[in-house]
Amino acid sequence: MRRFALCAGYMGALYAFILLPVGVLVLFSFQDGRLPIPPFRGPTLRWHEAVLTDRRLMAALWNSAVVAAGSSAVATLLGFLAARGLATGRLAGAAAIRAALLAPLSVSYLVIGLGLLASLNLAGLGLSLWTVAIGHSVINLPLCFAICAAAMGPAVVQAERAARDLGAGEGRVMALVTAPMILPALAAAFLLSMTFSWDEFIIAFLLSRFEVTLPVEIWSLLRGGLNPKTNAVGSLVFLASALVVLAAELALLRRKG
Amino acid sequence: MSLDAAEARRAWALTLPAVVWTVAFFVVPFMAMAALSLWQRTAAGLVPAWTLENYRAILGEPAAVRAILNSIEITLTVTALSVVLAFPLAWIIAEEVPPRWRRLALALAVLPFWTSYVVRSYAWSLMLARQGVLNGWLEGIGLPALDLANSRAATVIGFTHFFTMLLTLTIYASLTQLPPNLRRAAADLGAGPVATFHHVILPLTAPGIAVGAFLTFALCVGDYVTPQILGGGRDLAAAQLVMLNLGRRADIPMAAALSVCLMLLVTLAYLLLARFMRAPR
Amino acid sequence: MKPAATALALILTAAPALAQELNALVWCDHTDPALIEPFEKKWGVKVNLKEYEGTGAALSIIEQSRPGDWDVLVIDGIDVPRAVAAGILAPLPVDRLPYDTLFPEVVMAETHVIDGQTWAITEKFGYNTVSFDKSKVSAADLADMTRLWSGDFAGRLAVYDYYLPVMGLVAVGLGLKTADLTAADLPAIEEALLKLKDSAASVGEVVASQTAIATGAVDILVGGGEWVTAGLVSENPNLDWMIPEQGAVRWSQSIGVFAASGRKDLAVEFVRHVLSPEGQAALATSSCYWAMPANRAAGEVLTADQKAALRWDEQAEYLKRAQLYPAPDAALDAAMQDVWTRFLAR
Repeated sequence: MRRFALCAGYMGALYAFILLPVGVLVLFSFQDGRLPIPPFRGPTLRWHEAVLTDRRLMAALWNSAVVAAGSSAVATLLGFLAARGLATGRLAGAAAIRAALLAPLSVSYLVIGLGLLASLNLAGLGLSLWTVAIGHSVINLPLCFAICAAAMGPAVVQAERAARDLGAGEGRVMALVTAPMILPALAAAFLLSMTFSWDEFIIAFLLSRFEVTLPVEIWSLLRGGLNPKTNAVGSLVFLASALVVLAAELALLRRKG
Repeated sequence: MSLDAAEARRAWALTLPAVVWTVAFFVVPFMAMAALSLWQRTAAGLVPAWTLENYRAILGEPAAVRAILNSIEITLTVTALSVVLAFPLAWIIAEEVPPRWRRLALALAVLPFWTSYVVRSYAWSLMLARQGVLNGWLEGIGLPALDLANSRAATVIGFTHFFTMLLTLTIYASLTQLPPNLRRAAADLGAGPVATFHHVILPLTAPGIAVGAFLTFALCVGDYVTPQILGGGRDLAAAQLVMLNLGRRADIPMAAALSVCLMLLVTLAYLLLARFMRAPR
Repeated sequence: MKPAATALALILTAAPALAQELNALVWCDHTDPALIEPFEKKWGVKVNLKEYEGTGAALSIIEQSRPGDWDVLVIDGIDVPRAVAAGILAPLPVDRLPYDTLFPEVVMAETHVIDGQTWAITEKFGYNTVSFDKSKVSAADLADMTRLWSGDFAGRLAVYDYYLPVMGLVAVGLGLKTADLTAADLPAIEEALLKLKDSAASVGEVVASQTAIATGAVDILVGGGEWVTAGLVSENPNLDWMIPEQGAVRWSQSIGVFAASGRKDLAVEFVRHVLSPEGQAALATSSCYWAMPANRAAGEVLTADQKAALRWDEQAEYLKRAQLYPAPDAALDAAMQDVWTRFLAR
């Protein structure tokens, strides 16, 4: 019993630490007034309304979704292909390649962004959402590769070989054997990339021009002056994605239960 | 042509795109940045001076050295705090929570991941403000108000919040890979809970902890947003200095040189942690 | 690899090929639809805006762009000569701009007219001085600026994080003329700044500064002015600002056209739009920050309440007591930034 109380107490305390700031943010998004401090007055929906009618914020939201989906698709595909290639065990220098592919994981986003900025600069290329997406694919590729590589066990390699022995071409093996076998890993890689890209600030800040992603737009909102829209857009994004995540979890729970 | 050669060629064809992508958009840019750090910013523009002058300037400017030291101190504090906070949580979720509820418990523990990163730091500034929510509660229960806003403490709290979530994930992942009968075996051999933890669980989860700690270090030492929003300009982190050079002085070479210094730090951290990251046999 | 690289270069450089677009590098007060949309509708064009802060950031963005990327530039009034020296700006058609209704004090011919040509026009101005909460401190307490760094207000003040205005303000407080600052004055300024830092509860940018003073976390904001408090008075009527006996610093922002612009006519029309009474009124009351419009004619469009918040009627007095903030050359600028870095790192 004491053990249970201890565990429950610790969980409660940490959940409070983890969830409270977001709760406070959501609460103050309903604050009737510009100052985000107690006492709470309201609730009002005017800041949420202001967000939903803000052309720039909505454009940024859409840009973020496009960049996240595009860069994650590229990262997942490249990561998947590389994981397959390395799983055959036929590559000389596989360890070095693996290390090289994982290297970006250990580098600050700031450094990756600055490096891309410097080289685009030297190459005389302009900035756009494309460059942001490239930056995001660089930070996500190692992640996708690692997730796919972990899923490419001997069973998958053997199943591929069997399919090939039965005369299946390379494309069919990949589409009909490998991909379905590691579908959960592919989905996990893609979704994780999406969240990382969706949330990423500094690379998007350094590599974008007129069209910006949501974190960059929120940043300029934050710099532009005390504005309760910041609270509202933060809580809207949070509530929407939290609902998706919780729905997915509950669906999984029910299927298993 | 042998079958082996064909298979090797196919393996290469599959791996090559990712390698090319990484080289083109990561290795080459990094080299470009390293090269640029040897240039000089002058009134006339950027000059390819090929000199170590920027590095000399960093080492010769106490404020710059201080900023790098600040970043190291903040990062070490955050990494230690996050590991200490996250391990018990990951443990409880992996071992004490009924299996049916585990995924939900884990999802709840990382829920704020899905707010925007910038907004998360901002939310902490609301929490910690002198007239903010936390102090409102403290006063409500008769405790003195805390003066945490706009300080290094605020930066550390904001970071710890994020990395506790991240480490809970990585540690949970390594805990679930422990064979469940291992602890029973240890108990059968007469090991108490402390001895089991020390001799069995810790060594086996060390790789997960080390990977998480390294990720924390790498992401934290180069982060700009959190100290910028929460630090209140009380002291300067290295990433803020990079952005000052980039934004206010248009001095990309100096920003690049500082970034190279940050990279060296991360490499050092990797070398120190690398031997823990390998799974023990 | 060659075709792939070429394709990539094409993707990266392909500007959206809409016929009429105008690319403007601006401060955050230019992004309101109230300012931009009337121009877009009138001319049937799309205005692309990129916000920046600090001339260094703008120069860095321009350096990383290709010629022709930009059409309109908003820049700190004192940095116009720097932009002209860098060959960034094109001369403006003076006869098509409302110079006759500009506040004469803010025309700033000495920095805007070079070699007989006018390169930019002032669009908005205000003051970097002292904002305060009048329920906690009185204007009389702040009349002597040197008290700010005497330790009398330890823990009760915030400092706005921008080196030029705050260093200019401190210089004024020390009895120096901002126009004559030299490297020899920096040690005295640094000494005062470091003392100021010891009294400061925070050093932050606009939002952090606004939050600090509006929520009562601090009582005094050094470097503040109407641009911090005008928009917040309705929330917290105790917010006020004043000019100490020693004086204060005036800032101004200017707008010009890029020399490399391929759409100079449209760019000039945009400048004319921003300087028109309606454009000026929208700019003065932007959601990012409020400040005085450079064109007096905006007075016909602004409401009485707006004018009161901007202290329209007191401008003559303010203009007399404020000095323009310092306009350092490259070497002095670098030295000033070093001082500021030490100030931040303390």
